[in-house]
Amino acid sequence: MVYFINDIITGALIGLLYSLVAMGFVVIYRASKVFNFAQGELVIIGGFIVWFTTMQAGLSLWLSIPLSLVLAGLVGYAIERIFLTKLIGESVFSMVMVTVGLLILLRGLVLLVFGPAVRPFPIIFPLKPLFLGDMLIPMNLLIGGIITIVAAVGLSWFFNRTRSGLRMTAVAEDHVVASSMGISVKGSIAVAWVLGAILSTIGAMIFLSGKSLTFLASDIGFAALPVALFAGLESIGGLILAGIIIGIAQSLTTNYLDPLIGGSLGSVVPYIIMLAILLIRPTGLFGWRTIERV
Amino acid sequence: MALLLLAPYLVSSRIIAILNMMMISAVIAVGLQICTGYAGQINLGQAAFMGVGAYTASILASKTGLTFLLTIPLAGLSAALFAFLFGLTAARIKGFYLALTTIAAQFLFHFAVLNLPSTWLGGSNGITVPPAELFGQRFVSESSQFYLNFAVTAIMVAGAFGIVRSRFGRAFVAVRDDDVAAGIMGINVAATKANAFLIGAFYAGVGGALWAYLIRFVGVDQFTLFHSIFFVAMIIVGGMGSIVGALIGVFIIRIIQEIIATVGPNIADSVSFLGGDIVFAGMNVVLGGVIALFMILEPKGLMHRWNILKSSYRIWPFPY
Repeated sequence: MVYFINDIITGALIGLLYSLVAMGFVVIYRASKVFNFAQGELVIIGGFIVWFTTMQAGLSLWLSIPLSLVLAGLVGYAIERIFLTKLIGESVFSMVMVTVGLLILLRGLVLLVFGPAVRPFPIIFPLKPLFLGDMLIPMNLLIGGIITIVAAVGLSWFFNRTRSGLRMTAVAEDHVVASSMGISVKGSIAVAWVLGAILSTIGAMIFLSGKSLTFLASDIGFAALPVALFAGLESIGGLILAGIIIGIAQSLTTNYLDPLIGGSLGSVVPYIIMLAILLIRPTGLFGWRTIERV
Repeated sequence: MALLLLAPYLVSSRIIAILNMMMISAVIAVGLQICTGYAGQINLGQAAFMGVGAYTASILASKTGLTFLLTIPLAGLSAALFAFLFGLTAARIKGFYLALTTIAAQFLFHFAVLNLPSTWLGGSNGITVPPAELFGQRFVSESSQFYLNFAVTAIMVAGAFGIVRSRFGRAFVAVRDDDVAAGIMGINVAATKANAFLIGAFYAGVGGALWAYLIRFVGVDQFTLFHSIFFVAMIIVGGMGSIVGALIGVFIIRIIQEIIATVGPNIADSVSFLGGDIVFAGMNVVLGGVIALFMILEPKGLMHRWNILKSSYRIWPFPY
């Protein structure tokens, strides 16, 4: 029973990590109506920036973490300026395809610049797990979960209550309408990408802390995708619930169902949930319902 | 065209090998063009559908010994069936949600192959495929396979021209341009979207079967999300909504891939820390850059440019 509860808690915490990465999707979508398929690549670029500032430049963590976040924000801004500003008002297909292009472009670039070598990642959070009776909880995931919840509360306050957040929400509704109301679509998209890149870097720190870093870590972007869809692409608060549900489902499948069937069903459970959600309720749990007019 | 038939006698076997790859890609890209370019259904799972076709053909060929005259269409049908499951969601959702569903198709395919009992699908070892055979003639050499691929590609491309001119093709275009308006005009939107997926995946399955007979080995690594993106790159470069555009795109992207595959190892010698990954990395950088550049600068593709050129030639010397 203790193990069962432990699995649930660990699963929920991993789910919260997914939520944090998925928050990158949602923030970018919520402020620019662009669905960023390259989110996993942003995570890995954030990871390499952190690796570079700590391991390569030899800065202390207190200095390197803020510096990495700033650098990641700059990368996000650069991507936005180069690729996305020019597509304002274009069709959904163009937007989707540009981010898909970015996905393979960034992956190739990371591979060209850093090579396929495995690198040690700095230990940002204490390695020693937290012992609660017989249960043990990974420290990085625990702190990460708290960061995720704080970020979710903060960002959903920003998007739902503040004036500039509501402006960005208007951009997500319709670029043309927003700009004719005097809202800067460009500015909104820029903020979205800076925020998205920073969130991805935080995600990379939690995910990789004390582990090894290769370009394959970007797969977390695809692991987080079902969470973003399950919550609904416009809801930041909903990500927490969706992440916890998917994390627990995955953890229970991996620990109890996989040994029975002898496969790795756990890795596809999020996708099965995602397909079911898309079939039953395409807008996710808390997404906006759109009405179409001709 | 006739010159192409004589190709095996005229050019080296290396070029024949490239032409074989191009023709197979052409079948798959034309299917994607019908699904995405004509019907507007974003599809990032074309490589998975191709994989389903390849696996079907290789299992039928290696276990039951059916002739390729049957396995190739059956491969197409099974891919269409697999895609139909995902096409069903297309009836309810659109835009990038659909892209996500097709990505899920990609992951489920990968999972199914690797985790079903390895006696069924070969697991991570893949399946070896016996060569195609007709009247005791085995399609083993590059040039004999060339004729097999040529015949199938010709049939499939001719069929595609027919499909897009038929009432189905016009329904696809109407749904792509505005599905709500198309519904009001009396087009069954859900059925049309499902049809687009069925046809697109049928092409992918046929292409996959040809692939299985060409390489004579199928493994799950041959059908990843990256391959799907390469196919999308082909139709973007060529031009959305044009069969000829798809063929042009296949030609250009395959040439680029061929150049990178040839040049890559030479560069790898001088920058040794990259090793063999440089080809994959270079391919991703170039194709990702090509997709992004085309979306930003020429979203309608090369075919559009050609059409502008053609019409300005016709009405010369008048501007319009």
